[in-house]
Amino acid sequence: MPAIETRGLTKRFDDVVALDGLDLTVEAGEVFGFLGPNGAGKSTTINLLLDFIRPSEGTAEVFGTDVQADPLAVRRRVGVLPEGYGFDDRLVGREYVAWAARTKRADDDPDELLARVGLTDAADRPAAAYSKGMQQRLAFAMALAGDPDLLVLDEPSTGLDPNGMSRLRRLVRERAAAGTTVFLSSHILSEVEAVCDRVGVLRDGRLVAVDTLDGLREGLPGEATIRLTCAELPTGGLGVEAIDGVTGASVEGRTLVVTCRDPTVKAAVVTHVAARTEVVDVVSEPVSLERLFADLTGGEDGAPRSAVAERPPEDLP
Amino acid sequence: MSLVDVARKDLTNLSRSRALWAMAAVVTLLVATYAYLNEGYRQPPSEVVGRLFATLVLVVAVVLPLVALVVSYRAVSGEREGGGLALLLGLPNTRRDVYLGKLGSRLLLVAAGLALAFAATASVVRARHGVLPVGTVFGLYAVSLAYAAVFVGLAVALSATIATRGRAIAAGVGAYLVLVMLFAVPVVRVSAIVRWVDEGLLGLAPHPYLYDAVSYASPYTAVRKAANLVLPAAQRATVFPRPPGGAGHLPLYLGDWFSLVVFAVWLVVPLALGLWRFQRIDLE
Repeated sequence: MPAIETRGLTKRFDDVVALDGLDLTVEAGEVFGFLGPNGAGKSTTINLLLDFIRPSEGTAEVFGTDVQADPLAVRRRVGVLPEGYGFDDRLVGREYVAWAARTKRADDDPDELLARVGLTDAADRPAAAYSKGMQQRLAFAMALAGDPDLLVLDEPSTGLDPNGMSRLRRLVRERAAAGTTVFLSSHILSEVEAVCDRVGVLRDGRLVAVDTLDGLREGLPGEATIRLTCAELPTGGLGVEAIDGVTGASVEGRTLVVTCRDPTVKAAVVTHVAARTEVVDVVSEPVSLERLFADLTGGEDGAPRSAVAERPPEDLP
Repeated sequence: MSLVDVARKDLTNLSRSRALWAMAAVVTLLVATYAYLNEGYRQPPSEVVGRLFATLVLVVAVVLPLVALVVSYRAVSGEREGGGLALLLGLPNTRRDVYLGKLGSRLLLVAAGLALAFAATASVVRARHGVLPVGTVFGLYAVSLAYAAVFVGLAVALSATIATRGRAIAAGVGAYLVLVMLFAVPVVRVSAIVRWVDEGLLGLAPHPYLYDAVSYASPYTAVRKAANLVLPAAQRATVFPRPPGGAGHLPLYLGDWFSLVVFAVWLVVPLALGLWRFQRIDLE
């Protein structure tokens, strides 16, 4: 039985179609990344799965239970880190976690849960006074309470510092290793790449791709990069730019970095360079995820900043 | 019963609100001071105390709805606006659990505050006048609680269908104006307007029972009638005068007991509608 199954799931707000006929199956035990730029419909999907909002059309099931017919049964098996939560009550962190555990009829020790997310020192402070990152950890601790069968995490790394992010990833991997299904939405590629078995890419309310990351890299056109370390300085790039399919070349010390329109061009590049100079090493980099994401979600203009390649290409000397 | 968890968490939160404690203290001090200053001239203490409680009913009728509305007007909408609802419904709670849990916690809060004010008043009365009509005190407490419950229920029902603070305030103020002010202030009283239409505009013969029945539709009138059920005979208010020269008895629907029906309708109908609506809307 799949952990999540949606059929033709559609949500319209007035005139806006937030989600358009989503057919998605997440198998039990997998870590599924739900990827897309802001406003693509990720949170809408999660809110539908939790019965916070009701579909205009279509159905959603969690572990075989229709989410509208029995939201309580769904919530009993799911740990949620929702979007747009707030800690407004005059309660300290420990009390929030204790409340979550009690409501889930779980016997977790709140202090142990807080320790897992690194909030031990803040346990006795009002949650309303926490920083965004700390609140995110607290909400995550509440989601972990009761060891749910499915973790639904909406943009879990929002507000987290690098330490918090790596802790989050470790916890997600731990839970996954213990058999928990994880469904996490993100617009940050590195996060998805670090923990997910499969990803679904959402664009303007439509699912544009579902595959493993490797499968996505192979199946889609995108830039491939090849790095050739030469025995001598590859002056002028050795004319690789003339090769059909090469989109750019740069020199970093004795290394020639060539970007190709698609992976099939790489062989031609190696042959070309080897005929002109001694090649010491060849490193082929997979299709850059940033590139892939931009391709899938409508170009860099439509993508958030984090999706833009971090290293600008260097010009040839 | 996760609605108990909802209510318990809400009460823990509310019990730490300084504003609520301050409000409870102010109201308690005011009624206790009033009870202390109240004196009779050449009257036996029991009569002084009886009059005191009869006057207190009028204070309750006007002030208690305000307190109940202030305590409850953001019970659900506040959670929705502040993001608490995402946490509540992310846990194994149904929407009904949240709705009824919030209703329960706000009712308990008002019941506790009311008990405080009544206990303080009773103590002052006992110390000052040496007598305490225990039955009347408990009776008035029960009537006040029923009256307060109507407004708590109404506020929770309204707040469940409202998404913003501004609208919640407007709904609370509106409820008070329509249900209390429109029945308490003489010139704009609904019953007076109906009478004016009936007799002045349409030129029909007076229908005093109709005007009274219209007036009775308000919980404000109902609480004054309900108080008659528990006050000593000498202190009962004549809310609806018997028609001059008419029969000695008012119709059943204008009797004191009928106030309980009025309370029940005002308590159940808004709450049921609010729940019905809350279970159907998108909560984001």
